[in-house]
Amino acid sequence: MKTSSYKLYFFLIPALVYQLIFGIYPLIYNLILSLKDVNLITYMGGTSQWIGLSNYVQTLKDTVFQRTFFNTLVFTGLSLSFQFIIGFLLALLFNHSFPLKGLLQSLIMVPWILPIIVSGFFFRWFFSDQGMVNGFLLSWGLIDKPIPWITSQILPLFSLIVANIWLGIPFSFVLLYTGLRAIPLELFESADIDGTNWWQKILFITVPLLKPVIITTLTLGCIFTVKVFDLVWIITKGGPGEVSHLLSTLSYSLAFNKFHFGKASSVLVIMLCLVIGLTVLLNSIRAEEESSIG
Amino acid sequence: MGKKRRAKEWKWTLIALIPTVIIILPLYFTAIGGFQTGVEIFHRPPYWFPPHHSLEFYIDAWVTLLPYLKNSLILALGNLALTLGVALPSAFALAKFRLKLGKSTFFILAFTQMLPATAVIIPLFLIFNNLKLINNYLSVILGIAVFSIPFATIILRAYIQCIPTGLIEAAFIDGASLFRVFWSIIIPLSSPAIATVGILTFIGAWGDFIVSLTFLKDQTMQPMGIGLYYFIGRYGVVWNKLMAGSMIYAVPPLIVALLAGKSIVTGLTAGAFKE
Repeated sequence: MKTSSYKLYFFLIPALVYQLIFGIYPLIYNLILSLKDVNLITYMGGTSQWIGLSNYVQTLKDTVFQRTFFNTLVFTGLSLSFQFIIGFLLALLFNHSFPLKGLLQSLIMVPWILPIIVSGFFFRWFFSDQGMVNGFLLSWGLIDKPIPWITSQILPLFSLIVANIWLGIPFSFVLLYTGLRAIPLELFESADIDGTNWWQKILFITVPLLKPVIITTLTLGCIFTVKVFDLVWIITKGGPGEVSHLLSTLSYSLAFNKFHFGKASSVLVIMLCLVIGLTVLLNSIRAEEESSIG
Repeated sequence: MGKKRRAKEWKWTLIALIPTVIIILPLYFTAIGGFQTGVEIFHRPPYWFPPHHSLEFYIDAWVTLLPYLKNSLILALGNLALTLGVALPSAFALAKFRLKLGKSTFFILAFTQMLPATAVIIPLFLIFNNLKLINNYLSVILGIAVFSIPFATIILRAYIQCIPTGLIEAAFIDGASLFRVFWSIIIPLSSPAIATVGILTFIGAWGDFIVSLTFLKDQTMQPMGIGLYYFIGRYGVVWNKLMAGSMIYAVPPLIVALLAGKSIVTGLTAGAFKE
């Protein structure tokens, strides 16, 4: 509808102004901080100086940052692959009709509905040295002494990935399941008549028809996983030492444990570039898909 | 339907039961963790069924967490009011009118929704600190809303788009004001969407971690989720009470999700598909 009434702007403006003040302005502020030597002393005294790209240079040279960057890539890659595969298999399974389906389907949503704080504390207990995993493995005689799931050098990252896969299953499941429901059953029935097997059906009918949904699931999942904070901060806080940081937890730790606000901001800007890059990629892939369909 | 077909369908139920049980095991172990004593929780092998059914630790955890409940409610309801108050009018303007700023508003909303929370909350801490807003409920409500407003606006907009434009035009011809149309047509007709968005916004704010953790240093103002840290003392974690407390804290979202059922899933996925 076309109305030129200026009164309409009273309706539109609230959300726009709100997001500009509380969403966009902090980003600009952040960019400025990343170019200054802001730490606790200079922040309190208001004496911070412009130092150009020095924060970025220091950050990129920092071995903790390099490890964190690598962690973030591994975390995102592994989480996403497993979430996708498990979600896809579940979606195929639930595409059949069977008794109690509705109930089981809502139970699968539990990891999504449960507050992350609760899931985080559970996994912290689950993986702790005296925790459940070690409890089972020791009493079954599979190991002699507890495995340091979240207290050693390499393992914590992988324990966090396991927890995050669990957390992300409902997301891939729901998106892929909704997509699957839209594929007409006749297509599979005619394939049955032609004598195709299960694998052929998945590869040549399901996957091509589901392609737009698969792309959405993977790219959105990627954006959500790159910026994970809560789960890691609750389970390991990026420790022990600094071995299990992701970009988000490293920047938080630089800001509030070390009060290196300038350096924290440079890490945030780098992470932002990653997220914005992925978002642009997502939109361009989707636009391409839409134009090829329409 | 023949008996054979029935039996075949139950076979699928059995197969689907296996992954479902594995997925809800963490919730189950958290629940039974709250029934075990500090010694039993480290029993080897871990108990599949709690040895007793005393509610002692649940009651202890409830008593400890009760003071935080008020804070959780203030933050979640305050955020809900702010979010709906800002999102509803904007969703209406975006859905039904072509405005010059419409496209850029939608872009800003979609963009800010994707932002990492840390990238907004860390600079916002410094900004709020200058404004003496730290240790103030308002700062947390404002901070959570940065993420709930885009989500609410985008979903409400999609819903309001489906309300027939003819209804609105007819009201204008009858001489109704813009505000009247919004209040007497749009809001009543979009009540199902408002309910879904309201529920999801409430659950989101109830489960907030980073905003409350960063902006509220005063223990008496913290919400329940942060209050759980009380059980992680300096000399070790009181696991059984932490698990009991976690269950208590998880009850409202679980119940709401159970009652709202399918509409919640539709709401959660709407953002992913519509644009």
